[in-house]
Formats: sequence, C-alpha cells, structure tokens
Amino acid sequence: MIHNYLFLSCILFCLGIVGVISRRNVFTVFMSIELMLNAANLAFVTFSRIHESMDGHVLAMMVMAVAAAEAALALAVVILLHKHKSKLDTNVFSLLKG
Amino acid sequence: MSFVITLISLAGLYALLSAKLIFALQLIVYAGAIMSLIVFIIMFLNIQPDDLPKEETKLLYILGSMVVVLPIGLFLFKIVKSLPITSTEIIGNNFGGVKQVGLLLFKDWLVPFEIVSILLLISLIGAVVLAGKRGMSK
Amino acid sequence: MEQSVNYLGLIPLFPLLGAVVIGLLHVFASDKVKLPEKFYGLLACVGPVLSFILALKVFIALKALPVDSRNLSHIVFTWFSVGDLHINMGFLADPLSCLMLLFVTFIGSLIHIYSIGYMSGDKNYGKFFAYMNLFLGSMLVLVLGDSPVVMFVGWEGVGLCSYLLISFYSEDRNNVLAGNKAFIVNRIGDLGFVLGMAFLFWAIGAQGFGFIALKSHAAQLTGATSLLVCLLLFVGATGKSAQIPLYVWLPDAMAGPTPVSALIHAATMVTAGVYMVARFSFIYAPVELAGNIIAWVGILTALLAAIFGMYQDDIKKILAYSTVSQLGYMFAGVGVAAYSAGIFHVFTHAFFKALLFLGAGSVIYALHHEQNIWKMGGLKSKMPKTYITMVIGALALAGCPPFSGFFSKDEILYSALATGHFGIWMVGVLVAGMTAFYTFRMIFLVFHGTPRDQKAFDHAQESPNVMTVPLIILAVGALFAGFLNLPGIFGGSQMVSHWLAPSLTEHHPHASLFLEILAIGTSILAFVIGIKIAYSKFGQGATEPAFKGFANFAYHKFYVDELYNAIIVQPYKAIGASIWKTIDPNVTDGPVKAASKLYMTIGTAFKVFQVGYVRIYAIYMIVGLSLMTLFLSQSLN
Repeated sequence: MIHNYLFLSCILFCLGIVGVISRRNVFTVFMSIELMLNAANLAFVTFSRIHESMDGHVLAMMVMAVAAAEAALALAVVILLHKHKSKLDTNVFSLLKG
Repeated sequence: MSFVITLISLAGLYALLSAKLIFALQLIVYAGAIMSLIVFIIMFLNIQPDDLPKEETKLLYILGSMVVVLPIGLFLFKIVKSLPITSTEIIGNNFGGVKQVGLLLFKDWLVPFEIVSILLLISLIGAVVLAGKRGMSK
Repeated sequence: MEQSVNYLGLIPLFPLLGAVVIGLLHVFASDKVKLPEKFYGLLACVGPVLSFILALKVFIALKALPVDSRNLSHIVFTWFSVGDLHINMGFLADPLSCLMLLFVTFIGSLIHIYSIGYMSGDKNYGKFFAYMNLFLGSMLVLVLGDSPVVMFVGWEGVGLCSYLLISFYSEDRNNVLAGNKAFIVNRIGDLGFVLGMAFLFWAIGAQGFGFIALKSHAAQLTGATSLLVCLLLFVGATGKSAQIPLYVWLPDAMAGPTPVSALIHAATMVTAGVYMVARFSFIYAPVELAGNIIAWVGILTALLAAIFGMYQDDIKKILAYSTVSQLGYMFAGVGVAAYSAGIFHVFTHAFFKALLFLGAGSVIYALHHEQNIWKMGGLKSKMPKTYITMVIGALALAGCPPFSGFFSKDEILYSALATGHFGIWMVGVLVAGMTAFYTFRMIFLVFHGTPRDQKAFDHAQESPNVMTVPLIILAVGALFAGFLNLPGIFGGSQMVSHWLAPSLTEHHPHASLFLEILAIGTSILAFVIGIKIAYSKFGQGATEPAFKGFANFAYHKFYVDELYNAIIVQPYKAIGASIWKTIDPNVTDGPVKAASKLYMTIGTAFKVFQVGYVRIYAIYMIVGLSLMTLFLSQSLN
C-alpha cells in the first residue's frame, strides 16, 4: 500500500526526464526539473515514514531549499536569455557546438 | 496550471504520510513562492507567442524520449517492487511535527543546514547580479 | 674519514662565473661601449688566480691531515635521486685531485696572463676569454668531481669548450672543420665513457656512486665485467687524450689560437684521460690484461706520433705530435700500473708543454702568424728570452737530465722495465731518442742558422713582457718540477709518489739497482743520439727537403685521416643520405602522418554529435543512463 507512493514518485521522475529532454520551452524544462526534485522529495518522505525516522524530512527540506535557490538562479538566467535573444527556446543556445 | 495542482496534491500526500512540516513547507515554498516567482517572471517578460519556440515535432520527441526513459522507469519499478512490504500502522502525534524535525535539524544536521543557508545566500546574490545586469550594462 | 670544506665548490665556480660575466659583457657591451681589452683580460685572470689560491689552501689543508685520511669533500646539492640512489653535485679533494688542481690552476692562470698579450687586437677578445674561463672551469669540475657522473659533466664541458676554441677563428672553414672533428672524435670516446660508467654502475654502483663508495666496493667486480669496464673507460680516455685510434683530432686542433693549444695540451683536456685512468686505478690495478692493452696502445701511439712529429713542418703540429707522443708515455705508465709515474709525467709535461706552446706562440706572434719552420731561422738573436725558455722546454721534453721531463719519463720507463714489460721499454727508449731528434730539429730550424725569410725576420721582435714573464715562470717550473719526485738513486725521496699514494692503488716495483741504472743510462744515451742526429742534420742550417718514400708517407701522417674518411665517414654519409631520402619520408613519417589523418577523420565524425543544444546533451545522458539500467535490471533478476 505504501509502495504506491514510491510508484508515484517514479512516474513523476520519469515524466520530469521526458519533459527535460523533449521540450524546448524554457519554462517547461524548468518545471520538469522541479517535478523531478519533487519526486525525489516524495520518495524521501515515504522512506522516512517506512523507517519511522525523521531524517528524510530534514533532507526533503534541504532539497526544497536547494530548489528555491535553483529557481531563483534559473529564472535570473531566463531573464538574461530573454533580454539577449528575445526567445525562450533552449535551442538558441548552441555555443557548445563543436 | 496542472503543475500547481500536482504540487498541491503532493502536499496532500505528505500530509497523509504524517509529515506535517513538509506538508506546510510544500505549500508555502513550492505552491506559494516558486510558482508565484514563475508566474511573476512570465508576466514580467511580457512574452509574446512568437518568443516561444514552435515545437512541431513535440509529439515525436515526447514519444521518443518516453521510449528512452522506459527502461529507467521499469528499473525503478522493479526496485520498488523488490522492497519488503512493511506495515504502516498509525504512529504517534509526535512524528513529523515542527518541533521534532526542528530538533533533529539543529542537532544532527546542523552543518548541512548551515551549508544550505550559505548556498541560499549565494544564489540570492547571484540572482540579483545576473538579473540586475540589465540596469548596469546600460 | 672525510671532512667537508665549503670552499671546495668555489674553485670551479670562479672561472665559470668569470666565463658568464665576460660572456655577458661581451654580448651586451661590445656594441655600445667598447670596453678596453685589458679589462676583459684582467677579469679573465681573476678567476683562475683565485682558484689557484684556493687550490693552495686545499693543499695546505690536506697536508695538515694524517696520511690515511687525506680527503676533503663538499656536497653542494643533491643533483638527482632515484630511489635510494643519490647523485650529488659534490666535490672531492684528495692528494691526486689536489696535485692536478694545483698545476691546472697554476698553468691555466699563466696561460690566461699570456693570452692578454697574444690575443691583443682580436675583435672577439671577450669571447675568447669567456671560453677560456669556461674551459678551465670545466676542467676543474672534472678534476674535483666526487663521482663519475660529476666527472662526466666536466668531461663534456671540456669537450664542448675545445670545440668552441678550436673553431675560434670561425671565418675559415677549415678551422670549423677541425673543431667539428675534435668534437665528433671526442664524442666517440665519450660513448665509451658513458657505457663504461653504465656498466660500472650496473655492477657495483647500487651502494653509492661516489669514488670513495666505488673504491670500497671495487672488490665485487668480477673478471669479465671489470675488463669490460676498464676497456670502455679507456675508450673514453683515448678520445679525450688522443690515443690510437682517436688521436686524429689533436693535430687538427692547432687551428685554434696558440694559448688554446697550450691550454688543451698542457693543463686541461688531454690530461683528463690519464687522470681518469688514475682515478679509477682501484679498478684497473687488479686487471692486468686491461693494463697491458693500455700500455701497448699508449706506447704505440707514442711511436706513431713521434714518427709523424719528425716530418712535420708546422711548428705547432710538431708540438702537437709531441704531445700525443708524451700522452702515449703517460698511458704506458698507467698501463703498467705505475700511476704515480703517469700522473707525475702529466705534471711535468704540463709545465714544459705549456712552455713550448707559449714559446711557439711567441714566435708565431713575432712573425705575424707564420707557422712553417722552413720559413724561420736565426731567431736566436732577435728573441733571446723566448729562445732560452724554449730551449729549456725542449730539453725537458727531450728528457735531458736534470730537467723535469727526464725524471718523469725515466720513472715510466723504469716502471715498465721493472714490471717486466721489456717490449714497452724498448719502444719507449726508441721514442725518447726520436723525441730528442724532432724537438731539436725544431729548435735548430727556428732559432739557429740563417734566416730563410728575410722580410719576416726583419720584422720579428721580442714579445711583450706580459707574454715573456709567464714563459720564464714556466721555464723555472720545467727546470725544477722534476726534483719534486727525485728517485732514490739520486738521493731524492719521491715526494710526489708518496703524496699521491693514498688516492692510488698501486704497488711500487722494487727492482735491482742495475735495472735502474740501465733505464737511466739508455734514456740518456737515446737523448744524446737523438740530439746529435738533429744537430748534424739541421744544426748548421738546412734547406727544406723534398719528402720521398717513407718520409712522404709519414709527412702525410700515414694517410690515416684519409683512411678514416674513406672507411668511416663516407659510408656513414652515404647511409645517412639514403636514410634521409627514402626511409625518412616513407617509413618514419608514414605512420605519423597516418595517425594524424586518422584522428582528423575521427574528430570530424564525432563532430556530428556536438550539436550544441543542451537538450541533446541531456538526451545523451539519459540514453546512457537507460542503457545502464537495462543492463542492471537484467542482473537484478
């Protein structure tokens, strides 16, 4: 019964991956990443429930803090991207092209 | 937006797992702060439909990536299945409360907590610097 | 027991420092400010003189020590270390190196002073003195090195400097060729030295590679290895000290300025080989076969060079062959395990050969760089100081008692006789007679008789004091150096031999008085005969003869140079050319080019993947991850 939480976590994680690699909209990609982080959080909390220790909660909090930091930076980057290229397309950035 | 609904329902799940603090934080940080930040940015940038990429082959991509991701998903499923089934009896009120988690956080996890606080500070400064360039460069 | 003295490192440092300073001054100052020649000359003399003073200090310090522990050493820094092996940049002064040190710095200083006069007016004055200082410094490193490795540094250093100085007048292609020849021939010898060193290390070097450590382990050397090491090191010595078959470079080395010849022949370079053999006496002494080979090579070189010397007409070439011949004596000496006699001959030879060369330089200088003895003559009255000093040098070289050469040469011949090397003694006596002959042939032709070239004669005049004073000092040395090792029969005490005894491994043969008298008697007889023939032929003035038959053969040095050219140099050239034309572009360059092309192709192929979209990179990552999980989930079941 508690495994269902974990299945959900897996599904969310895979959806996040699919979103990251298949979409080009910056916001969608960003939200997909958040989705993956949340999936991990859910897994943490579930395991914490299974083992009846609260370390998982603490870790989940940390992940949230990191997510918040990442969100702030990512959105700042999005602003810059929009300013320079007036596009919200990840394909605009091809500086790494060999 | 479905993302917001997902996050809020996740908060509900946390509550079901008797993780009261995380439940509250999920609502405040994610559904509250991060989502409002995203919406604010979208509004702030005044995005036109032209700005967004035209993804004609979106469906194809999603299908393709699903094929790629499928093994990972299956693998994770397998692992979860192989876990021993544990009983989930009701546990006391004290589990997952603010006080308990807080005590744990400041006793056993003090150093990681401080590191995270520094990380947040740095990202705050970084975000200001990156986004604030607009004013400085001109 | 060793004692550390920190001024030991300063001895080679002074000339080397002088070389650097003078070289820099020459390079940077010559264009803008014309520094006076005297300045360079004096600067150049400072280093050697300071070294000489320090050498005296070392001598006194050694003297104060008890006989068995006369070792001073100073480790400047650890050069490199591999595992437990530490090769130190260290210096060692024992009686042997101290003796070398004294006369190298002494004669080196005199030659430097002399050069001030001889080189005046040369446009590369500064360069000359920089090289000279470098030369002397390298020699001092060679002498003082406390391990074969440090010795080799000096060894290579003198090789390099000889090249630089021989081709000093680089406008003339012949001089450059002579320099090249010296360098290449030396390189062949150096290969032998390096190989010998490697074998030595392989055999007994593991517990330390300093001379002292090697000496204490020398007993571990077994027959074959020890012979191999001896012979390989001797190959090195033949290169540096101009023995058969590698002597060809030394006569050509006359292309350099005369003080350089003096420095090469007297104080540095050629004596290095003898010194090295004496240094390794602890290895050579037990191996009689190697000693015999060395002795025979030496004495045959002496004979050959003496034959050549009798027919040369260039004053410097005569002296060059006499050097080769004397070096042959020295090797004969060390070959019959009379190391102190060999080193003693090095010592006395340094005096009279420096004297002769500087005297010859004085003559050449007076005659405006005329070197052919058939164009000289009658200079006795014009250049009295040079004449007298030259005669002293010649007497010493020819082995006239009581000049220094007599004692040292006699010591060698006596040792050969006493150890039963009768053949070597016979040849040695013959060579002694020939030496007397060609030396006085030169003296008579140059100074006696009537002038053959009147114009040059009229211009000739005595050289300035800065040149004659070193000559006189050296003449005094040539006269009295022999008394330092006066054999017992003349009431002397063989001071040099006793002084050297702690650093050499040798046993003095004790032969009967009869043998000693026989040796001395025959040497004197040979000398008298030689000088008499020379006088009867050339004493009253003679005209340039046309060489025929054997003489012509000898005049052309038995065509050895041509022979080497034909059988070694030309085939190598041909092989080199064919390699360069066919093998190089096809065999050697082929794989290299193919490899570069291969990587180009691979690179271009992989470029396709580098699309530059972050998303695609993420896809790569996920694909990899999924492949991995596929693999893992299989193993999970």
